[in-house]
Amino acid sequence: MAEISFPLPDLGEGLIEATVLDWLVEPGQQVERNQPIVELETTKSALELPSPQAGKVVRIHGAPGDTINVGEPLIVFEVPDDTAGIVGTVPKDEAPKRRVRLSAVLDED
Amino acid sequence: MSETTTTVRSIGDSTDTGASDVQQMSMQQALNRALDEVLAENPKTVIFGEDCGRLGGVFRITDGLQAKHGEERVFDTPLAESGILGMSVGLAMAGFHPIPEVQFDGFAYPAINQIVCQIARMNYRSRGTLPMPITLRVPSFGGIRAPEHHGESLEALFAHVPGLKVVSPSNPHDAYHLLKYAATRPDPVIFMEPKSRYWQKGPVDVAHAAHGQATHDAGVDDGGSLTGARVVRDGRHLTLVAWGAMVSRCLQVAELAAEDGIDVEVLDLRWLKPIDAEALARSVGKTRRAVVVHEAPLTSGLGAEVAQLITQSCFETLKAPVERITGFDVPYPSGDLEDEYIPNIDRILFGIQRVLEYRRG
Repeated sequence: MAEISFPLPDLGEGLIEATVLDWLVEPGQQVERNQPIVELETTKSALELPSPQAGKVVRIHGAPGDTINVGEPLIVFEVPDDTAGIVGTVPKDEAPKRRVRLSAVLDED
Repeated sequence: MSETTTTVRSIGDSTDTGASDVQQMSMQQALNRALDEVLAENPKTVIFGEDCGRLGGVFRITDGLQAKHGEERVFDTPLAESGILGMSVGLAMAGFHPIPEVQFDGFAYPAINQIVCQIARMNYRSRGTLPMPITLRVPSFGGIRAPEHHGESLEALFAHVPGLKVVSPSNPHDAYHLLKYAATRPDPVIFMEPKSRYWQKGPVDVAHAAHGQATHDAGVDDGGSLTGARVVRDGRHLTLVAWGAMVSRCLQVAELAAEDGIDVEVLDLRWLKPIDAEALARSVGKTRRAVVVHEAPLTSGLGAEVAQLITQSCFETLKAPVERITGFDVPYPSGDLEDEYIPNIDRILFGIQRVLEYRRG
């Protein structure tokens, strides 16, 4: 298994930090992509942050009331090793299929 | 490459009783481990590229390396490939051994000037006083349903440039050993990683580079088995020549051909510059028929070079002209069409059939 760390993104235009109001998930929990994971408050608004991906939560950073800087770790997920990179998909290992058959008279001179 | 081709042997060709250390790992894990060890063994090694540091690479090849070896040795760069490679030139001149990454094949184009005009030439230009011990890792070829610039095969471009070496592993074992080998070379090496094979697991003998066993003579430098091509399947009737992700496909084809009574040899070229011409001569000298398979477009692809090398050495005994089964002369297509573009099993079988049917005069 591999770990993927998700840092706090800029939640507005040029915001530098956010305060944790309440975590909606806990370590060990399996989450889906876009599932709300945390309530945050910035100088502009309070909001629920959706999960950037599916996976098992390994660690969360910051207790309610703590301030986290943009770019610092917010949450760490555990994902299978064969999860694709950010681009593309893992090719399936399929049994080889054929339509062409070979027919040859091999003159072994 | 004359010293290189005597230790070619097949998987399973095992007479070893000695200190093999075989572990199952994916090519991803094999490459990651190789880089980790290179960093530990050579304090002059530095690794950098887009997302190589904190994220650990978009394919996780550099995963954990920054945390372990520090931000001065494994670090992120701006999205500027000419800068990544230009910085590599400066670092190499200052005595470092850079292992830069171009995140995807198609992103190498903005860096071509640095690669061709600086990295490949500096050693010549300086009369050998400024070698460029740079290993450029390029996740390469197609097969993962990615968008444009993420599925290209640039081996012929790189192989055409004097001063560059080009290599592409087809399996985790070779990935581990070839990367460690490339990283110790005094010359620039373009290391083309077949990204569609990153997740495929296989046995890796971290103690011995030669496949499946220790070398018969413990004193032999393992490098000898790392500089040439490798026969991955023995056969009598025809040789399939391939590299990167096409090797596993050719092995599938060989199994299917066997159902029809055709005994196909598969030669994993591994090094695309310099090409192991002796291995080609030896294999096709035996089978007398050859098909070259690559993902890159046909025209001026490396298949032409391979076909010429075979013709040069085997002209008198060849049963048919060397056939090429390749991508088409179009820009690499988007994911939905790549199964039609990349040589598939039936196209390779057709190529074999054409060679088998050929009759002189």
